[in-house]
Amino acid sequence: MISRGVFLLRKEMQRTKHHVACASIVALIYGAFSSANAWAQDSSAAAQKIGTERLTGMPAAKRTVIDESGRKVEVPARVRRIVTLAPNLAEIVYALGAQDRLVGVSNFTDYPAEAKSKPSIGMPVNPSLEAIVGARPDLVLATAVNTWETVNSLARLGIAVYTTDPHTVAGMLRSITDIGDVIGASEQAQALVQKLQARLDSLKAKLANASPVPALFVVWDHPLQSVGENTFIADALRWAGARSVIRTKQNWPLVSMEEIVKLNPEYIIYAENHMGADSGSDSAKLANVPAAIARHLNQLRADETWRQLPAVRAGHIAVVSDEIDVPAPGLVDVIEQLAQELHPEIFQKQNQSSFDNFLQHRRNAPGFPNARQSFSPEAASCAR
Amino acid sequence: MRSLTPRRIFWICAGLAGILFVIVVFSLKVGAYPMAVGDVVMTLARGAIGHWNAIPSSDRLVVFGLRLPRIALGILVGAALSVSGASFQALLRNPLADPYVLGVSSGAALGAIFSLAWFPREPWTMQALAFVGALVTIAAVYFLGRRGGQLDSTTLLLAGIVAASFLSAIIMFLMTTLSGRDLRGMAFWLMGDLATAPAVRLGFLFLVLLLTIGAIYTTASDLNLILTGEQEAHHLGVNVPRVKLVVYVGASLLTGLAVSVSGAIGYVGLLIPHVIRMIFGSDYRLLIPASAIGGAIAVTLADTLARTIVAPTELPVGAMTAAIGAPVFIYLLKRRLA
Repeated sequence: MISRGVFLLRKEMQRTKHHVACASIVALIYGAFSSANAWAQDSSAAAQKIGTERLTGMPAAKRTVIDESGRKVEVPARVRRIVTLAPNLAEIVYALGAQDRLVGVSNFTDYPAEAKSKPSIGMPVNPSLEAIVGARPDLVLATAVNTWETVNSLARLGIAVYTTDPHTVAGMLRSITDIGDVIGASEQAQALVQKLQARLDSLKAKLANASPVPALFVVWDHPLQSVGENTFIADALRWAGARSVIRTKQNWPLVSMEEIVKLNPEYIIYAENHMGADSGSDSAKLANVPAAIARHLNQLRADETWRQLPAVRAGHIAVVSDEIDVPAPGLVDVIEQLAQELHPEIFQKQNQSSFDNFLQHRRNAPGFPNARQSFSPEAASCAR
Repeated sequence: MRSLTPRRIFWICAGLAGILFVIVVFSLKVGAYPMAVGDVVMTLARGAIGHWNAIPSSDRLVVFGLRLPRIALGILVGAALSVSGASFQALLRNPLADPYVLGVSSGAALGAIFSLAWFPREPWTMQALAFVGALVTIAAVYFLGRRGGQLDSTTLLLAGIVAASFLSAIIMFLMTTLSGRDLRGMAFWLMGDLATAPAVRLGFLFLVLLLTIGAIYTTASDLNLILTGEQEAHHLGVNVPRVKLVVYVGASLLTGLAVSVSGAIGYVGLLIPHVIRMIFGSDYRLLIPASAIGGAIAVTLADTLARTIVAPTELPVGAMTAAIGAPVFIYLLKRRLA
């Protein structure tokens, strides 16, 4: 009887000991992590301060700006190190002549060509925060393809993130002005925007009497995906004297073939990378495009549904440069190129001279050392 | 097999914790931002004694602002997932039970989509709504899974599977119809991702984690008995309904916690408890703490690989766990059958 009591008591004590041990381990680990967390937060704020101080040798002057998404951002008065989280932003930074300050770019940044040699910070969606921090930026430029998670995480680390959000061609021009303002290149931005605006205005004047061509812009063909009204692509089509037949508030709607048959577009427009013609050098591309268009047209004509479309029967397929996917200065080139393809009757009159002008423009655009290639068959023969 | 003494539990856990420590140090060293081992050690040491100003600022941001929180989150998520997996396996007496089979991850994903669609810019809503989604799903599955007032394993599993596919249908509907930038992160989230680390309150989450694991641990001996059969356990004096409730609520909480901060990281809850069982036996007094540390090891290692093998681009950690987990699982299956 007594021995049983002692046994139970001992067991009870053992159990209590066990529980006490467990509880103390819990307390220890919890303490460790909460203080580590506190350190991380203190240190990131302090680190930001020290980082800028070390570069300038004095406490950096800051100013508060409101970015295009409405966030308040504290940016240094003199931005010295820029990281871009999307290709269009890198292109704008180059066009503003600030490429020397660009210390990191996202994947898919391939224009201008020398931007490819900048250190990469990963994909636009879910970039490597570590690589961004490692580039020691004092300003990160973000845009609509980046997630709020990325923006918020960077902000929490004390890094200034300026977000642009262009939905139209005019919005793209505004983004150029805004970015120029933030990085201290307002004059260059103003000059660039004026030039682009002048080209758009002259195009608008030329197309004043042309009726917009109903067109289908194909983002992806399996499943068929197009653009909504509020995208800069739809707006670019409007500037080029076309109108997207798809009318929806969704940005990248999936559309059914039935819908396309009903809407009956007069032209079908693809980006060049969709044609499989974007491999190899630029000159190889030029040679490839007409062949790729022909190949694609044959495919469409072999398809039971597509070949019913009057646009396919008439061979009304337009292929534009990949710049259509990127809200950056190059978008204006694409608009001009597309306008020429869709409204040949207007451009034929002064064809040769205007085309020379067109190339001249491109060569003279600031930050664009090489003429961009045009991809229409005429341009191909011209370049040869 | 030797008898399981507290001493043995302690030493096994200490050994596993040692392995975890080595992996943490390795994980602190590697990444897109290159750092020498010496620098990592110096940074940690200077941080520990409070000499912040002596550390180069980007080293400090990378180590204390990014890698350490991310490793801590990996430990948290791994421990939570694998303990909840072990608990569900005992509760349902089904070796295939894991948090995802019960529809929890789909519930959390739906919550996350709601937050991305309607409050995309608030840093906290995604985790909060995902947690709510997970708990609501778990409660719904719990009530659907009862038969005659009793929790019935088969019915519960079926209810979980049905809930998961129903919720996935809603998710697909929302992802197709909602527009905008804000669902882009969703694909990563559905695959499981630890890049959210800088945006969560780790201290609080660890407190919840440890208290919940502690609560489940108090039922460890009872779970051992329940595994031999509920009737037998009942006759041996186990309050079966109470144990089931504690374990179910605890495991659900752990799952909700993990899924809400990291998305759907698969295979951890399923695989780690099985591996621990094969090595150390299936006594829940050892299995629970060992699974916690084992899960932490697995997720930390997987995430280290996920953020380094194609650096600077990052893979979702769920893709890593699935890529490693699936073959390991097949191997275990074959070995058991042989």
